[in-house]
Amino acid sequence: MRRRVAVTGMGVVCPIGHSTEQFKANLLAGQSGVGPITLFDPAELPTRIAAEVHWDGANRLRDRKIAFALEAARQAMDSGRPHGEGGLSLGIGLELFSMPDLCAMRRPDFAMPAGLRDRLTFLQTPSDLCVHMISNEHGLRRPPLTHVSACAAGTDALGTAFRMVADGRYDWMLAGGTDSMINPLGVGGFCRIGATSVVNDQPERASRPFDANRSGFVLGEGAGMLLLEPLDRAFDRGATVVAEIAGYGNSFDAWGISEPHPEGRGAYQAMARAVKDAGITVDEIDCINAHGTSTPKNDSVETLAIKRLLGDRAYRVPVCATKSMIGHLISAAGAVEAIAAILSLQSHCIHPTINLENLDPLCDLDYVPLRARRYVHHVTLSNSFGFGGQNASIVLKAVHA
Amino acid sequence: MDRRTPPLTDDSIVVTGLGHIVDSPCDPTPYLKVRKNRKFMGVQDDLAVVATGIALENAALPQDLGEQAGVFLAVGYIPFERSDIDQLLDGSIVNKEFSMLRMSTVGYHSLNPLLTFRCLSNMPAFHISANFNVQGPYFVTYPGAGQFYIALDQAYHALSTGTVDIAIVGGVAHQRNFLVHHHFGRVEPPVHALSDAGACLILESAAHARRRGATVRAHLSQYDLHYEPHDPFETSIVPHETGADSGMGPASLPVALNRNRQPVLSHDLVAADGIRASSVWELL
Repeated sequence: MRRRVAVTGMGVVCPIGHSTEQFKANLLAGQSGVGPITLFDPAELPTRIAAEVHWDGANRLRDRKIAFALEAARQAMDSGRPHGEGGLSLGIGLELFSMPDLCAMRRPDFAMPAGLRDRLTFLQTPSDLCVHMISNEHGLRRPPLTHVSACAAGTDALGTAFRMVADGRYDWMLAGGTDSMINPLGVGGFCRIGATSVVNDQPERASRPFDANRSGFVLGEGAGMLLLEPLDRAFDRGATVVAEIAGYGNSFDAWGISEPHPEGRGAYQAMARAVKDAGITVDEIDCINAHGTSTPKNDSVETLAIKRLLGDRAYRVPVCATKSMIGHLISAAGAVEAIAAILSLQSHCIHPTINLENLDPLCDLDYVPLRARRYVHHVTLSNSFGFGGQNASIVLKAVHA
Repeated sequence: MDRRTPPLTDDSIVVTGLGHIVDSPCDPTPYLKVRKNRKFMGVQDDLAVVATGIALENAALPQDLGEQAGVFLAVGYIPFERSDIDQLLDGSIVNKEFSMLRMSTVGYHSLNPLLTFRCLSNMPAFHISANFNVQGPYFVTYPGAGQFYIALDQAYHALSTGTVDIAIVGGVAHQRNFLVHHHFGRVEPPVHALSDAGACLILESAAHARRRGATVRAHLSQYDLHYEPHDPFETSIVPHETGADSGMGPASLPVALNRNRQPVLSHDLVAADGIRASSVWELL
């Protein structure tokens, strides 16, 4: 017997909010978090803009994504600890190395730092340390799940945790994603493959999903964490249920390394599997939080896949792209966007896709351009499609006690 | 998570294919459906494709699996070769200090764009999917032997619930390179004996295997998976592994299964990250 799974806590640290309240206000106001890179001097790199998190707590560790995740987890747990033993499911980004540390290693008098903490954070901090720090802080005694499916990792982390709780394998889970690649190697690497926008003179207008003039994604950073537990137990303990995760599906494109299947086969499969898993029909989907990267290929292919999924209804179901405001949070994207979708469900208002001024003829759906829209909706499908053809979707439902 | 599997029945999950490759370089060319992808492949990708190809042959499965097959993969720490780092660094230094201006004008242009693809943790799964047309679900995790057990657990559940008919369960680690050596040299105690390895198990239900006339090669009769939360900056857990070569990261157990010639393989793991696991496999 599968249990219904409630979301009873949320935490977020992202470019437009360091709490869910701040995030919601800026989302609905259509606030861009993109600006010139300040975390390092990008000098002559082609891309010199990003969506940075300006939060004092980010610098307590050398690895920003760990600091983000710890804070988001604390916020999510503020709503109260569920009964039983908990676990963690986290999408996490790469352990990129520090160029200054690499230079230091070349000096003749170089010696590795003496203490374990300094050694483990020198050059690069192993990303998996993050799951152990969170598990330790919150006493999560079940084996943690680390997801490295790139841009789909945050949604995979939520979806897997949903299944673990629904099937009774874990009593409850903290689930989400964290990432920060706004550093010389991260930005340089994405520039080198031509993935990021180079609209450096108008940063707040650079991330423009579904727009005819989109030219690549804008790198963002941050973390999102959600507390998942069985719905009946959440009601029993008097927890505030903010939403329900009802279904999850993922798929491989089995196609190109950096380009989606031209007909959106994998994206369609992930969405269709999530809908089937939720036990609903596609007619019940009344909003889609798109992957919407602002890259030329993703947005048109995602549009095709949505049309295949929804048929004629595709033109009547609002589709919004959170990345227009916060950029692409890579491994954290799916988790932060799920929180955006839940905040929209709660407030009966869909956040806008900002910068959508000239619709691409290949992107002809209702993308909620420029301004938030009052809209009572009940079921949102949230998409994340990764580099390497890994696609994940989850179904989120409003819960009325 | 404790699992004691009852005696073999139709619902039992069985191993019908085994494949492994230890040490690099290895040549994935015979398994490449898309030859142009070769240039994107790093060592971990080569190992994953070759181990999967061998396992599928061993399982007498076609190399075109479609929607009913899934990939459950544990990948080792991110690799980076010294020569690639040196090239980038040489173009990023002024007066022995890092210079962003020089990196952005010199080092950046020396960076092979393909490097991005060759070190990403999700790329071995991509290459398996693309070359064997796997369109089903996936679970891609990292970085050690404990995570292989977690991938195995996810695969078991996907098979038990009918989410997939065939599960490709793998461990792959490219460890003989600058970045991974750096990592294992700083932990306590340091680990020096590292191998490059990839290994794969094909899992399916006994009933599914019988329907297609497959040979059952092994059966997981028991496994346990536990975790001890700890502060990784304050606590050094001394890793310990019996029944497998601990220098192979997430590939250790599946390589041991591939190499085993005894009727039973018992594996015990205390991983440095707090995962404790054990399993007993009956080889049939």
